[in-house]
Amino acid sequence: MENNLKLNFEDYLNEKNLTNSQKEIKESNFDNFIKNGFPNKRIEDWKFSDLKQIISTNFDNINFLNREIASSIDESLIDDLEHNKIVFINGVISKIDFSYESEDKIIVEQNSNLEKELSDNVMLNLNTAFVSNYTKILVKSGYQFQKPLFLFNYLTKDLNNAGLNSRLDINLEDDVALNVVNLSNENLNNNFLNYRQKINIGKNSILKNYSLDTNENSNFRYSYKDIYLEKNSHLEYFILSKGSKFSKHDINCFLNNEYGSIVLNGIIDLNNEKHHEIKTEINHNEENCKSYQLIKSVLNDSSKGIYQGKIYVNSKAQKTDGYQLSRALLLSDEVEFNAKPELEIYADDVKCSHGSTSGNIDENSIFYLMSRGLSYDQSKKLLTNGFLNEVIEKITNENIKSLVKKLTGINE
Amino acid sequence: MLNIENLKAKIDNKEILKGLNLNINSGEVHAIMGPNGSGKSTLSNILSGKKGYEVEGTVSFEGENLLELETEERAHKGIFLAFQYPLEIPGVNTNTFLKTSINAIKKARGEKELDAIEFLKLIKQKSLELKFDEKILSRQLNVGFSGGEKKKNEILQMSILDPKLSILDETDSGLDIDALRIVSEGVNSLRNNKKSFLIITHYQRLLDYIKPDFVHVLKNGQIIKSGDYELAKELEKVGYEDFN
Repeated sequence: MENNLKLNFEDYLNEKNLTNSQKEIKESNFDNFIKNGFPNKRIEDWKFSDLKQIISTNFDNINFLNREIASSIDESLIDDLEHNKIVFINGVISKIDFSYESEDKIIVEQNSNLEKELSDNVMLNLNTAFVSNYTKILVKSGYQFQKPLFLFNYLTKDLNNAGLNSRLDINLEDDVALNVVNLSNENLNNNFLNYRQKINIGKNSILKNYSLDTNENSNFRYSYKDIYLEKNSHLEYFILSKGSKFSKHDINCFLNNEYGSIVLNGIIDLNNEKHHEIKTEINHNEENCKSYQLIKSVLNDSSKGIYQGKIYVNSKAQKTDGYQLSRALLLSDEVEFNAKPELEIYADDVKCSHGSTSGNIDENSIFYLMSRGLSYDQSKKLLTNGFLNEVIEKITNENIKSLVKKLTGINE
Repeated sequence: MLNIENLKAKIDNKEILKGLNLNINSGEVHAIMGPNGSGKSTLSNILSGKKGYEVEGTVSFEGENLLELETEERAHKGIFLAFQYPLEIPGVNTNTFLKTSINAIKKARGEKELDAIEFLKLIKQKSLELKFDEKILSRQLNVGFSGGEKKKNEILQMSILDPKLSILDETDSGLDIDALRIVSEGVNSLRNNKKSFLIITHYQRLLDYIKPDFVHVLKNGQIIKSGDYELAKELEKVGYEDFN
């Protein structure tokens, strides 16, 4: 695979007309990736998801050279909710539509230049090496979006054994409010997706980001986000981790000024042999910030779920309030769930707690429901839906809450 | 309606019921009284089909062998158990649950399922009849309900599901006098010549509100004496210890 990757990269550089400095950035990142390869379980962050092994088991080869497909697919994936959208087709932006908004408040810059950067996360190296059409969105001070922004990741049927790298940065200036929804289509081919998003939330701004992996697909996805919060800003983040064959959602938040707050909730809902991980790192770097995390998992068949959650409190970050809870329902003897909560605290006036539980479904509750005429399966479904519904209920945007209920089949 | 003959039950190799006989006809209200550990809750669990017991003997309900039926089939046939400790089901809205439940039963009985409007109408009417605040029905099932609210919710379910035989397992436990009165009035309003009740209780107190036709004393896994309401009074005077 390595040789092929090198050939892909050579062709890629030849086809793109890059400046020398851009080329150098890409080359140094590519070299670092080649030196280290896909991360394996000996690397602490990948301890429960040995990507190297997962890739070699599932792919003979991955083609990272995906020439942009001139496609005019205008796939909305949802029809009953008014929204703005950015459509990625096979990892490349094909449409940007802010028709519900004042367009002078939003600046979209396509084909942005990469900054010089050499991360020690090899997946970011890979992303930097191959990313095309790096896009940046800037929302100007004081602008509140009328409608949510949907980021559609659409993969065409002819795409198979491809490796896609995409990158989108969102920069909210001060006093901005935006809701973002990530959604992808149903896709039954094996592809490897490496998505990166960098988000900045300005002073007094609010970002609500709902990342919905609901449609059944056999993709292997790594999604990396770093999110920076300014003074008195708020992030509401929701993950529904369900559809992909493999998914690792890597979220890194930085509370870099006072009174920032984060509510991060997630659902891992798996069947068959799916393997999903949510990894979060909340960095409390300044005083008086709050973070709250709730992750619930339901595992069926021989699926595997992982939650690694770290709260870091800088010595400056007095009066930090950090909370983290993971609960898992294990519905078969073959499933595996790993939780690794971590608190790293250097300040002395903080309130931080974490908890993790995992267990079977409560047979007494099943009996209660069956005694009211429900079958075993109906009872089990009601209980697991109820278990997950508690997380969905935390979504504060009512339209998106109903969308999530519709997509998951969890109804009130 | 219900005929129990020589019912024996073991759990973890411990014999709890040791040959129990009981016959309940349509329209009758029976009370079973007994001390802790006499097998009262085991009896209600076995009648409603809880797993985990080794059972011998026969139990027939309207001529059918009850022991062969699954828990939900018993509910479909018209058996209802009001739980001593109704379970809290987080994340499940009480109304959603009630609708799922009544429609599961209607479907099994070959009746037309209720749509949202018919359901709400039924709920409104039943809540009114039973003097229950229907507001609690928009909350998660039994979550954060007081002891009284949980028991009232059981009675409301009983009224909506329209069972032939209702088993009330220590429904009076944890109720204050006012809640006890409301719950009892609810039960009394459902009494008619087609419905039967089996009231399992520790104390005579509940029977002052719901007058039974028959009282049975359960001790050590067997019914040792049967009589009418007077038996309950006698029992209250003498105590279970000296009652033979």
